[in-house]
Amino acid sequence: MVADRLSSVFWLVIGLIAIYGSVKLGIGSAREPGSGFLPLLASLSISLIALGILLQTFLKTAKSHRTFSSLWQGLRWKRSLYVCLITVGYTLIFEKLGFALSTSIFLMALLKGMESIAWGKALLISVLSTGLCYLLLSFSLESTLPKGILGF
Amino acid sequence: MDFFSNFATALSVAFQVDNLFYCFVGVFLGTLIGVLPGLGPAGAMSILLPLTFKMPAATAIIMMAGIYYGAMYGGSTTSILINIPGEAASVVTTIDGHQMALQGRAGPALGIAAFGSFIAGTLGIVGLQLLSPPMVAIALRFGPPEYFSLMILGLVILTYLTQKSILKALLMAGVGILLGMVGLDNITGKPRFTMGIPKFMDGIGLIPLIMGLLGVSEVLSNVEKRIYREVKKTPIHHLLPSRKDWGQSKWAILRGSVLGFFLGILPGGGAILASFVAYAIEKRTSRTPERFGKGAIEGVAAPESANNAAASGAFIPLLTLGIPSNVLMAILIGALMIHGINPGPMLMKEHPDIFWGVIGSMYFGNVMLLALNLPLIGLWVRILRIPHSILFPLILLFCVIGAYSENYSVIDVNMMLLFGVIGYLMRKFDYEPAPLVLAFVLGPLMETALRQSLIMSDGGFMIFFTRSISIGCLLVAAVLLLTSFIPSLMKKRELVLEKET
Repeated sequence: MVADRLSSVFWLVIGLIAIYGSVKLGIGSAREPGSGFLPLLASLSISLIALGILLQTFLKTAKSHRTFSSLWQGLRWKRSLYVCLITVGYTLIFEKLGFALSTSIFLMALLKGMESIAWGKALLISVLSTGLCYLLLSFSLESTLPKGILGF
Repeated sequence: MDFFSNFATALSVAFQVDNLFYCFVGVFLGTLIGVLPGLGPAGAMSILLPLTFKMPAATAIIMMAGIYYGAMYGGSTTSILINIPGEAASVVTTIDGHQMALQGRAGPALGIAAFGSFIAGTLGIVGLQLLSPPMVAIALRFGPPEYFSLMILGLVILTYLTQKSILKALLMAGVGILLGMVGLDNITGKPRFTMGIPKFMDGIGLIPLIMGLLGVSEVLSNVEKRIYREVKKTPIHHLLPSRKDWGQSKWAILRGSVLGFFLGILPGGGAILASFVAYAIEKRTSRTPERFGKGAIEGVAAPESANNAAASGAFIPLLTLGIPSNVLMAILIGALMIHGINPGPMLMKEHPDIFWGVIGSMYFGNVMLLALNLPLIGLWVRILRIPHSILFPLILLFCVIGAYSENYSVIDVNMMLLFGVIGYLMRKFDYEPAPLVLAFVLGPLMETALRQSLIMSDGGFMIFFTRSISIGCLLVAAVLLLTSFIPSLMKKRELVLEKET
């Protein structure tokens, strides 16, 4: 699948949905523009430009097209996915376990999962970074961090 | 007389201990970010924005501004030493800077980059101080149609200068405007595109959006790449340029300063454009153009001066018109808004501490940067050796905490992550996030200006074409858009961008 074709179809759909939403909001008149006036102009532009990009993919030579799979070729994309999943996990435990424990676990998981860092080194970096962040945020910037089961 | 009284106000605000301290923190972090390839100033400023929540507004803006112009200084270090620009405005410095390093002249290259940056930065601040009051006077005469047209021009210039497809950049600007519309309509009170989610009633948060699109997406894009950085242990000596070096560089610094400053003022322009144009002009006007690309010191002095002068110039539209000329200034607008301050022509009158404090702090910031970048060069080289596998988790941690600490809400963190993934995919498909962010900030301002203009003219769109400033802005925007779609010019532009990247 040609990458630009896929992305332009996506934006075209978004644009069309936004046109529908804008019209529903009420466009008003030029004298008294409604809530949907500028959103309609923006979504019309999105749709027309997306259509333009889509047409370009049919007019350009096949050689100049990048395929969907080529965007990830030669890259370690699983690492990006891993980082996302770990961060989602972090947000799930952040308030329950508290800042200190959840942040240490988060950093450990990232450090160990991304490179083969020794356990001791990873533990040291995670605990030290968490401690420094805690001090900076709690005392210097007076942020309220979740305390969780450990009480800090 | 006004100049000196303004100067005294500027220094008195900037000289307060807190402001001096946070100015130092800002320029230090800016240099650090400039030195570290993989994290640009936009991403870094968005990540560090939450640090300013508890600060007084003037201190917050002083620190954020410090990060911005500090990054311009730091970017040259990696360009010269390892041939990798720390940020986009230093791309051109790699051409001659790294050649000088290979010839054993890393010291003078780093030295002239720092001195050129200092001279240009200081001249830029003088220009900013001189031009701001008359610009405010002009800005006060701006009505809604002028504001609307100027914002259109800013968006068009930004998309014109985009490194990828103009069509995609324009599309992103449209998406940014649309995202800026989410929430309650200020005039009718109607909820727009909230999808029934109460959180969206206040609109999409600026912090989760910019941290996600600029910060998290940068981390996600970088972790999948294999980044090799070889920091050669070449001794760095003779940081002070010789008399011959000064002789070759002095006009390049001056030309770069003037050019950079005015290109910085241009909406949509900024440091990147300034550095490229300054280099091109220096090469074209040189009696020995063949030296360029082979270690010509002017090839370092001109772009480094231009990008620092542009950093000062970019503050003019922000401080006088309340319009961000680039995405970094959009983040600064965000910082002002978070502190409940409306940027615009009244800023100088209503908040002189912010207006003059920022300008005054830049004088001190430039001196601090000179001290940070010359004697401490060894420290920055050592920082370059920190592996990315350690840096990226820490950057991500700052993003999560930053998004959380705005409202102490995990929903904001999830929003940031969502925008991070969207930003990552946008980068994959060659959609740049900068026009989206700028349009997101400008969207609500544009809508207000458009509505007010139409009410003023009783529904007539001709109001935009009958006022000289407004029609001037729209004409330039139209010419830029038209020329960007002329096939021969499109090819030329693509060639230039190919060379740049």
